Amino acid sequence: MADALDQAAETAEEQKDMPATEKDGGAVSASENSAEASNSDDLENISPLAEKPEMPETAETQKPSPPPTEPEPKPEVAAPPKAKVKSKNIPMPDRNEDAPPLDAAEHPPVTVNGRYVVYPSMALKELNSPQAMAYAAEDRREPGRQVFALVCKPGLPTRTHLMRELKGQRIGGLLLMIDFGPVFWHAIDQTTIVVIYERPLGGRFVSSFGDSPPRVNEYELGRLIVDPVAQAVSELTSMDFAHRAIRLDNLFFIDKEKTELVLGECVTAPPGYDQPLIYEPIERAYAMPAGRGEGMSYDDMYALGITAIFALLGFNPVAKYADDELLAGKAEYGSYQCMCGNERIPLPLIEPLRGLLSDEEFERWNTEALENWLNGQKKTPIQRRPAPKPKTAFKFGGRDIRTSRAIAHAFSKNVKEAVKIIKNGKLEQWLRSSLGDSDLADSVAGAITIAKVHESSPDGSDDVLVSKVCMRLDPHGPIRYKNFSFQPDGFGAAMAMEYLRTGNFQLPAEILARDLVSYWVACQENRTPDVNVLEKTYQTLRGFARIAEMGYGMERCLYELNTNLPCQSELLRSAYVGHVDDFLTAIDEVADKVDTHDRPMDKHIAAYIATHFKHDITPHLKAISDSREETSLIGILSLYALMQWRAKTPTLFGLSSWLGGLLSPAIGTYHSRTTRRRIETEIPSLVRQGSLPELFDLIDNAERRQIDAADFEEAQIAFAHAETEIDSVIGEGVDQEKLALQSGEKATAIMALVLSMLATTVIIFVQSV
Amino acid sequence: MTDQSQRMQDLTPDQQRQRGRSYLTWVLLLLAFFAVIAGATLILIIIGMLPTIVAFIIDRSKGKTASICVGSINFIGVFPYILSLWSQFDQLDSAMAMVGDIFTLLVMYSAAAFGWLLFLTLPSIISSFVIVLQQRKVAQLRGEQKDLIEEWGEDVAAIVEMQKLEAQEQHMEHGMEGMHEVDLEPRF
Repeated sequence: MADALDQAAETAEEQKDMPATEKDGGAVSASENSAEASNSDDLENISPLAEKPEMPETAETQKPSPPPTEPEPKPEVAAPPKAKVKSKNIPMPDRNEDAPPLDAAEHPPVTVNGRYVVYPSMALKELNSPQAMAYAAEDRREPGRQVFALVCKPGLPTRTHLMRELKGQRIGGLLLMIDFGPVFWHAIDQTTIVVIYERPLGGRFVSSFGDSPPRVNEYELGRLIVDPVAQAVSELTSMDFAHRAIRLDNLFFIDKEKTELVLGECVTAPPGYDQPLIYEPIERAYAMPAGRGEGMSYDDMYALGITAIFALLGFNPVAKYADDELLAGKAEYGSYQCMCGNERIPLPLIEPLRGLLSDEEFERWNTEALENWLNGQKKTPIQRRPAPKPKTAFKFGGRDIRTSRAIAHAFSKNVKEAVKIIKNGKLEQWLRSSLGDSDLADSVAGAITIAKVHESSPDGSDDVLVSKVCMRLDPHGPIRYKNFSFQPDGFGAAMAMEYLRTGNFQLPAEILARDLVSYWVACQENRTPDVNVLEKTYQTLRGFARIAEMGYGMERCLYELNTNLPCQSELLRSAYVGHVDDFLTAIDEVADKVDTHDRPMDKHIAAYIATHFKHDITPHLKAISDSREETSLIGILSLYALMQWRAKTPTLFGLSSWLGGLLSPAIGTYHSRTTRRRIETEIPSLVRQGSLPELFDLIDNAERRQIDAADFEEAQIAFAHAETEIDSVIGEGVDQEKLALQSGEKATAIMALVLSMLATTVIIFVQSV
Repeated sequence: MTDQSQRMQDLTPDQQRQRGRSYLTWVLLLLAFFAVIAGATLILIIIGMLPTIVAFIIDRSKGKTASICVGSINFIGVFPYILSLWSQFDQLDSAMAMVGDIFTLLVMYSAAAFGWLLFLTLPSIISSFVIVLQQRKVAQLRGEQKDLIEEWGEDVAAIVEMQKLEAQEQHMEHGMEGMHEVDLEPRF
């Protein structure tokens, strides 16, 4: 056992025994410290969520909070497994540790990339991730190496691009990701991604404390948690990624001695998806879990701050508050005050924690600031700027709300009531008179006017109006539309989750159609280059969404925004297509398992290929979308032939056979039956070769088509000539007998003439003799 | 011949009458010319070929086939006498003698009668053959069309179908136009 842990445990015991006022000499409550630092007497600002009469906003005084062990159910649609609250009410995501074990006989070992053997019957529940189950694994090349496997939930948009970057790269403070790859998992009868990680020998940090609170004293906090996490965040930032899964229960002791902590995995779910709401900065916490966005190192810093508080205190100081109350408190008083306002925080930790929990991104401490602090350098203390205080609270839904951010959140939860208040002008009046923000009041009035102009169209619907007003009230917050809330950089994951959950794109499509992202962009005070890029991206997506052809539509938007999402086609349900180069092989393999009367193409496949295949396939997509079956089939064949030719895929027997069997209408485009019969005879031999380019050449040979067309034209002319001749003989209005008689008369006249000439000649001859 | 009659049909009645008068003038001029240079021969031909002249007048067949038929055979009966006339010194007297001889006239007119006989019997026999031949031709053409359809499908008849459709449409349009014209005509 590490010294650190012993020390932490000792400290915890000491603190448990000591009265609050006598705890650690160097530690003062944040409120005291704040009071000292800011020399302010305003107690409201100091301990915002303390049970005080001055705090009407916190529901503590308004309504009883639910018991801490049963957090209020979240309304988000695509919610991850609900956070369980363990270890002194510190929220942790459910890691499916109660899942039953798999039978070894029914579930034999599987291999990842031909090297790592994963044993489905040997679950490692203690290493489970919220979206991935852990199993024992073995490295065939290095049998003694300590590794384990995380089996991802299929269909979830995993962070495959990050997996590629992290693969085999040892990053300080981060659990080493060794390899990953798709594997067919019998238990779910699907192919899914399995990630191989180095096994943390000391186990999970929070598990190391048993029933005791997971606590680290202020002396060890920096070395044990802050330093490695900051190091990991720093390196990930240099790779242009954020971890987005920094939380207390995702820390592991890499060594048996439990001296070195590392961050756990962050690749098996969308960024921030599994994070309990408390770990997320306010603007991302308001979004639904799947829509929290890619985020940046700032978000990791915030999560580190929360993690540090939990580790330092050993419990969740705001456990008794429901999510909405917590967010309202953070919005009004600031995250630091909300979390630590009533707790005793050691003096040296106040500034870093205040820096890490700053609600303004530009003020939040970055890794550099943290390193400086770890090295003993001091940083100018951050002056907290509380949210503007209104003269009177805004009453909505039976609650008094004091910040526009909290109003936006409340409005998004109750659109019906919100519309009434927005339209009757009460909100505008409150913003103008009580909050004193006439600009905001004007913008809200503008949104109401626009809604009135578009009253009869969907753009003027109540949902759109509330969404736009929410964006005005909370410009940095998520876009909220009909319980679908997301940060613009999290739209892709949110849309993916919505599709996986409901099987349709209704809400994301409405959001694109209403152009809400452009409105969000217009609400931003600072038009950064990132925001401009974002706006352009969404304009492109709107263009795609409007086209109702194969390769476009919402499916295209899904894959454009989730470049690592495997193809969601029903045909490929049992396969995993994580890269376009694997597509042909995958569809070739499923050819034997599906009904080959169906086409090997659907909207998802077309959109996936259009997104990932680097060559221009616009004409192919046009042909595939054609209403004529034969053109569509030739389009499919030509696209797959092009893919096989470009990827130099050797043989595709299954797909060739599948397509070969569907080509009758395409063969029917030839006019000549002889040509058709010849093609039909040749198809089986080409199918046996597994070559789609040759099959395509047989079906759609330009020279053969030209000859066929020319011959057909000649045949048409010959047919018309024959018809004319027939018409001249037995056509309508033709008296065949009369004509025949006329012919006979003519013939008789000619015969008489000839006879006359012969007779005169003979007479002349006889007379002359 | 057909073209000529077509052209004739294209002319207005006044034009046709004018052209008929013109032909008659030419015939009379030619007769006058021949009367001067070969009067005896002309008398023999006119008298000997009277059945032909009659046939020409009463012939309503297309192309005057009856006249040609009768005339050709009639000429066979007249021609030996013309040759005989040309060998005589006093042609005019000889011609008058010939036309006065009942036997000579019997030969000439019998030849014309044979011509008539040929014209009345042969065309119906020939037409029967022609009908059989035409039916065979139609069957052959239908067979060719069937082969074309078998090889190229029903679309090969697209042009024909289109032409028929166009003809039908045209017919309908003209029919309607006719109806309009009828309707628009003032009624007194």
